[in-house]
Amino acid sequence: MAASLLSLVDVEVRRGMSVVLTGFNLEVASKDVVVLHGENGSGKSTVIESCARLLPLETGSVHHHGALVVDSEGRRSQPKQPFGLTLQSNGLLGDETIENHLAAVCSLSGMKAELLPTLETYGLAHRRFDRIGQLSGGQARKVAVLAGLLPAMLSPQPRLVLLDEPDTGLDENTLAALITDIGKLREAGHAFIIASHHPEIMKCATRLHNLDSETIQEQPTCQPWQALGIPNKVSRLSTKTGHRYLRSTRAGLARNGLTALLVIGTLLAFIDPVSLEYTLLVGFVLASPFAAGLAGDPVVNLMREQRAVDWWRAHVNRLPAADYFAPVLGFILTALGSVLFLDAMNWKLSLVGAGVLWATLSCVRFIELSTLRLARPNAVFIRLLLPILILPWALIVEYAATL
Amino acid sequence: MRRHIPEMFLGIGFIGIMTTLYLGMNWAPSVSIDAFESPAAQRIFYWHVPSAWAAFIAFGVLFTGSALWFFKRSPFGWRLHVAGAEAGLACGLMAVWSGCVWGAAEWGTPWDWSDVRLNTFGLLTLLALFLVLGRQSQPDGVETRDTFSTFGLYGFVLVPLTYIATRIWQIRHPGPVIAAGDDGGSLQSSMALVLLIGAISFTVFIIGHMMISMRITHLEQRLEHAQKSLDGGN
Repeated sequence: MAASLLSLVDVEVRRGMSVVLTGFNLEVASKDVVVLHGENGSGKSTVIESCARLLPLETGSVHHHGALVVDSEGRRSQPKQPFGLTLQSNGLLGDETIENHLAAVCSLSGMKAELLPTLETYGLAHRRFDRIGQLSGGQARKVAVLAGLLPAMLSPQPRLVLLDEPDTGLDENTLAALITDIGKLREAGHAFIIASHHPEIMKCATRLHNLDSETIQEQPTCQPWQALGIPNKVSRLSTKTGHRYLRSTRAGLARNGLTALLVIGTLLAFIDPVSLEYTLLVGFVLASPFAAGLAGDPVVNLMREQRAVDWWRAHVNRLPAADYFAPVLGFILTALGSVLFLDAMNWKLSLVGAGVLWATLSCVRFIELSTLRLARPNAVFIRLLLPILILPWALIVEYAATL
Repeated sequence: MRRHIPEMFLGIGFIGIMTTLYLGMNWAPSVSIDAFESPAAQRIFYWHVPSAWAAFIAFGVLFTGSALWFFKRSPFGWRLHVAGAEAGLACGLMAVWSGCVWGAAEWGTPWDWSDVRLNTFGLLTLLALFLVLGRQSQPDGVETRDTFSTFGLYGFVLVPLTYIATRIWQIRHPGPVIAAGDDGGSLQSSMALVLLIGAISFTVFIIGHMMISMRITHLEQRLEHAQKSLDGGN
């Protein structure tokens, strides 16, 4: 019997006030292609997102390769084996290039590969250095589908691939390439769960599942897929990805840096630093890193696009974060503030400023991430909670004035 | 008759609050002019302390409701959460507003960002505002309820912190006047009586407010259920 790549045991999931899945069980083994079909709202995407650890379970558990990844008790472990995922939303950042995004997917699998032939198959080779935001909707969908297939394409070991409506927006040639690749990857031992109504996709299923019952289909044998990947461990992937996002978008400077500069400019417009006591001036110096932190984490803000944050949350427990950005910007802003308000660069104060921006940004990031599960996370008045940071900031200012 | 119990609570509470205001402004003795910068402003204390007391009751209800929803998935718990948040916001704003008026008269500033009691209580009120506005901005569902219940549970940490704040770090806010231990003998009996009437009145009023709020939430849920039935959903 083939090894189990995925099992859902007695899963119940709610969305809104409705129970979408109840008592749901599914076992997926190597060489299975399970196509979920059924009416809109029947729970196909819910199954895919539950398998990807994106939805909390009311009851039951989900296992990848026999190891628990999420259960109703709140346990949530990173899958030991990488898996492919294409959500209904592409989960792509508009400012990333195709090359960079696929390289990140390779790194998540602990592999590297020459992807040019695959990109040619999908008609994307000439666009590989373009930003995803410059692509058409169909081209962006191809990138998302390719990113979902890639963990299986790279690996000689069986991998699980979850595809939610992969055919949406694809032209006939790409759809044919996708179906051919699914067949070859299945033959190589990989397993698929695909939510789709498309007749061609349904034809390539080994198991057609309507969430109540399933039908077995025989598939002809074909040439198995030859794995593309070469092992290549990448350390600190979340940090590197976070910094790459900021480098390519300059969102950190646009969002946090400009906020801080506006604060400094506003203070200088009204205040004569010569006439003020030292503690107040230290407060002005530390106001800019504090304001920059209150502006929020630029990486989290970027990842709200097309559910990129969910795509990452499915794969890793630590989301991309620009770890060094906050302390570096805090140091620079405080040094600038010291020169402007205190007439001299103050190293100790600059280090305190680095810490203030890092701590403030971390708190805001934590609060922002805790509301991501909401249906409309941008509409929630999360910044009403940020005054909690004013008292600690005031205490730090008092301490910094004694340095 | 039983249907009108919440309205009766509201009415009795309102009359009690008005009585407290009248007694506080006209009957309660004045404080020593040596002890306060602005002795006349001290009379706002008969509004401020009972409203803060009622706010703590509401935050307790918010915590209980959050826990009942989060751990038991109890619809009654969610209604308690909503009622606690709305009542906490109303009473919290009353306490913060009256405190700012008194602070402006007594300290010369309505707010002090370095005072722990002021900040923790202000934050509790902001948390209630966040929960009320947030709930209105989101569709009802387990995602919304789970997220806001979590904030309700964590936010309750501020309640004991607020309570002990003036005992541990008295910066600007006066020390406790109720349950003050050995140092609490300064309150005259007539002052204590007005304060007691105020505390009871605000408590009765807030209970009526929460009962009506729970009824409204229940009706909203029934309406949504009926709309879904008309839509053909479950």
